[in-house]
Amino acid sequence: MRARYYILFFLTWITSVALAQDVHFSASASKNQVATGEIFEVTFSVNGNAENFTPPSFSGFQVAGGPNVSQSMTSINGNTTMSMGYSYDLMPVKVGDYNIGAASITINGKKYTTQPIHIKVVKGAPVRQQRQSQGQGGANPNGGSSIGDLDEASSDISKSVFIRAVVSRPSVYQGDQLMLTYKLYTRLNLEGSQLDKMPDFNGFWNEEIKQPSQNVQWRTEVYNGKEYNVGDLKQVILFPDHAGDITIEPMAMTLVVDQPMPARDIMEQFFGHNIKPVKYPAKSNKVVVHVKPLPDAGKPEGFNGAVGKFTVSTSVDKNELRANETLNYKVTIRGSGNIKLLTAPTLVFPADFEKYDPKVTDSTITTEKGVTGYRTFTYLIIPRHEGDFTIDPIKFSYYNPSTGSYVSLPGQSFKIKVKKGLHENSVTAYSDQQDVKQLGKDIRYIKTGSGDLQKGNEPFFGSISYYILLLLGPLAFGGAWWYRKWHAQYNADVVKVKGRRASKVAAKHLANAKKQLAAGNSKLYYEAVFRGLYGYLSDKLNIPVAELTKENIAAGLRKRGVDEPLISQLTDTLDLCEMARYAPVSGISEQEVFEKAKVTIDGIEDKI
Amino acid sequence: MALKIRYNRMACLLVVLLLPVLAFAADSAKFEQGNGLYAKGNYKGAIGAYNSLLKDGYTSEALYYNLGNAHYKNGDNTEAVYYFEKAHKLSPGDEDVNINLQFARLKTADKLDQPTQFFLTRWWQGLMLGFSLKGLAIFSIVCFLLASGALISYLYAVSVGVKKGSFYGAIVLFAIGVFSIVLASSQSDYFNNNREAVIFTASVTVKSAPSNAAKNLFVLHDGTKVSITGRNAGWTKIKLPNGTEGWIISTDAREI
Repeated sequence: MRARYYILFFLTWITSVALAQDVHFSASASKNQVATGEIFEVTFSVNGNAENFTPPSFSGFQVAGGPNVSQSMTSINGNTTMSMGYSYDLMPVKVGDYNIGAASITINGKKYTTQPIHIKVVKGAPVRQQRQSQGQGGANPNGGSSIGDLDEASSDISKSVFIRAVVSRPSVYQGDQLMLTYKLYTRLNLEGSQLDKMPDFNGFWNEEIKQPSQNVQWRTEVYNGKEYNVGDLKQVILFPDHAGDITIEPMAMTLVVDQPMPARDIMEQFFGHNIKPVKYPAKSNKVVVHVKPLPDAGKPEGFNGAVGKFTVSTSVDKNELRANETLNYKVTIRGSGNIKLLTAPTLVFPADFEKYDPKVTDSTITTEKGVTGYRTFTYLIIPRHEGDFTIDPIKFSYYNPSTGSYVSLPGQSFKIKVKKGLHENSVTAYSDQQDVKQLGKDIRYIKTGSGDLQKGNEPFFGSISYYILLLLGPLAFGGAWWYRKWHAQYNADVVKVKGRRASKVAAKHLANAKKQLAAGNSKLYYEAVFRGLYGYLSDKLNIPVAELTKENIAAGLRKRGVDEPLISQLTDTLDLCEMARYAPVSGISEQEVFEKAKVTIDGIEDKI
Repeated sequence: MALKIRYNRMACLLVVLLLPVLAFAADSAKFEQGNGLYAKGNYKGAIGAYNSLLKDGYTSEALYYNLGNAHYKNGDNTEAVYYFEKAHKLSPGDEDVNINLQFARLKTADKLDQPTQFFLTRWWQGLMLGFSLKGLAIFSIVCFLLASGALISYLYAVSVGVKKGSFYGAIVLFAIGVFSIVLASSQSDYFNNNREAVIFTASVTVKSAPSNAAKNLFVLHDGTKVSITGRNAGWTKIKLPNGTEGWIISTDAREI
C-alpha cells in the first residue's frame, strides 16, 4: 500500500519536474474511498521554493501524522528545479462524504491554491474517538497505542519519551533574539512530571514566554517517522551577550510514565495491555548556538548594543522655565529587540544643567516572535542659571539583523528658555566658597563728598599737563640758577658798573638841581648841576675826581670818539656852572643851563 | 608794569594746567542728587542719576563706588562687581572699595583659587596698588616743586646751615618724587597690561578656540572676573587666576 503512495508521489514529482518552470501546486489523496479507522495520505506538492504553506482544515478527519515535508532539487544542464511536498496522514472518524479544502501557498509572492479533494468514508473497523488532551494537568496521550508498533515503544522507553530543545535559529548576531523551545515527545501516557533542573542560560539574557494557560498544550507530531504527542514545556527568548559558540545546557525532568508490559496471558491480551507506572529521568539535548559578532564596519558613534528594530522619540515637559526649576526630558525607545538590555543613551545637556540619573520604565510583551514594547528614560534636569539653551538631539542607533546594517535614528533638539530664578538660593549656596573673614553685616556706605568728578577717561598721570607741572619746579630752579650766574657776571667789572651807574647818579644831581631851581636858590642850583656833570663824567670816563680837569675830560671824551661840538658844549656848560657858583651870569637863563646839561649828558650817553 | 603782566600770565597757565584736576563741582549737584536718592533707599533712582553722569563723560572713583553700591542694594550683583572693580582700578588702595568688592564677589557662583605669590611680589603689589594713580601723580609734582624750592633757597641762602639743610632736603625730596613716579607708572602699566573683564552672561561655556564648534572647556558664571589675553573677531581670549585659558564671545563680558 505504501509503495503505491510512493509511486504516486513519484509521479507527481515527475510531473513537477517535467513542468519545470511552470508553477504547479496540486493536492492528491492516496485513496478517494476509505473506511473509518483506515489511515490514508493526502499530499500537497509544488515545484519551486514555496513559502507560507497553509494546510486546509481536515474537518471530519483526525490528523495522524504530518506534515511530513520533503524537498528535492534537480539540476540539469545548469537549470535548477525544486519541488516540495507536504503530506499528512489522515484517519476518518465518521462515515460520510467529506471535502478536503484548498491548501494555499505563496511562490515568488504569488498565491496558489489547490482544488478540493472529495473523500468518501465507508464503515470500517471501529475507531476509538481520539481526544486531544486539552488541558488536564497530567496529560493522557493514549492515542499512541492505536498506531505504530507498541512492542518497539515498550522495549525502549527513551525512544518513546524524550525532551528536545529546539532553537528557532541556530546562528544569530550578538544581541539578536532567538527562541528556545523545550518540547516533550511522548508516545506513552504521562502520570506526572517534576522539573529537576532548568539550564541557567549562561551567556544569554533570557525572557520566558508566558503561556496562555498553566497546562501544556498537546498536539501530535511525527518525528523520525513516528507519531508522538508533543507538548511545549517551556519557551524562552534568548539574547546572546557575547559572540562565539554558546552551549545551552540540557534541561532535566523526572517523568512518571505508564510503561506497557508484555501481555502475560490471553486475558490480558484481550482486555488491554498491562500498564505499570515507572519513573523516568528525561534530559534534553544540548544546543549550541553560533553567535556572530556585530560587524565593525559602519558602526555608528554612540552605538550601545541595541539589536532589532526600533524607533526613538524624545520630549520635554516644558520649553520655558525659571532657573532652579525642574525639567523632565523623556526618551522613549520603542520596537522589537533587546529592549531590556538597552542602556541609557548618551545625552549631552548644556554644561550648566544639573542632570540626574534617568528613571527607567519598561513595558514589554514576550511572544514567539520575540520581545516587543518600549523602554522610557526620564531625565530630571535642573538649569541653574538663566539663558537660552539648546538640548542637542539624542544619538541613538541600532543594528538591524534582518537587513544586516546599522541604523542611526535622527533626534530632535529642544530650545529651552531659562528665566531668572525666583530665589537666589543658588547664590547663597556658594556663600561658603571663599574663606573670607567676617567683615560685617553689610556693604560700606557710599561716598558722600562731591567727589573728584572729572571728564574724560584720560588719566592725569602721563598727560601733558602732568609733565608740564612736573617740570615746573626744575625749570624754576634752572631759571634761578641762570639768573644768579648772570647777575654775578654782570656786576663782576667795577668800571663798567660805575659807568652804568653814571647817568643814574647824574640824574639824581640834576633832579636835586631842579628842586633848587624851583626853590629859587640859584647858587645851590648851579652847584648841583656842576656836581652832577662832574660826577657823571668821573664815573663814566673812570677818572678819579682829583684828576678831573677839563683837559682830562676832553681827552677822555675824544678817546671814546665823542665829536667836538658836544665836547665844546660840555666845556661851555662846565665853565658856565663854575662861573655861576661865584658870580651871577647873564645872557642865559637858569632853565637853559639845566637843559644844556641834560642834553649834553644824553648826547654822551648815546655815544658811549 | 611788565612784571605784573608776567605774574598774571603764570596764574593763567597754572589754572589751565590744573583744570582737569580741579574741574569738579560742575555736575556735583547731580552726584549729590544720586547720593540723596540712595540715602532714601531709592536705589533705582540713584543708579539713574549716577548713570547720567557717566553718560556725560564724568568718571571718578566715588562715582563708580556709589554706583556699585546702588546696584548691590538693588540686587544686581554682577553690575555691582563690575563698578566696584572699576572703582578699584581708579583707586586700588581704597579700603571701602576693597571691602564692598569682597562682599559682591561672595555672591558670585564661581570660586577661583588665587595662586600664592612670592612675598616680595605681594609686598610690591600692595605698595603699588596702595595709592591712587592721581594721588601719586599730584604727590610727585608737589615733591618736585618743593625740591626745586629747596635748591633755589640753597643758591641764595647766605647762612651755611641753611644752605646745607636745603641741599640735602632737596635731594631727599627729589628721590621721593622719582619713587612716586616709578610707583605711578608701574601701577599704570599694571592696569594697562592686566586688562580684566567681568562676565555678564549668567552662564558662559568657555571654548577651546574662537568658534562655536570648538570643544567646551569649562563653564563660568556672571560676576566672575577674568583677565583678557587676546581678541579675535568677536571672541575674547580669557585667562583665569589659576592659569587656564579659553575663548568666550566678547559680548558675554565687559571690560573693566
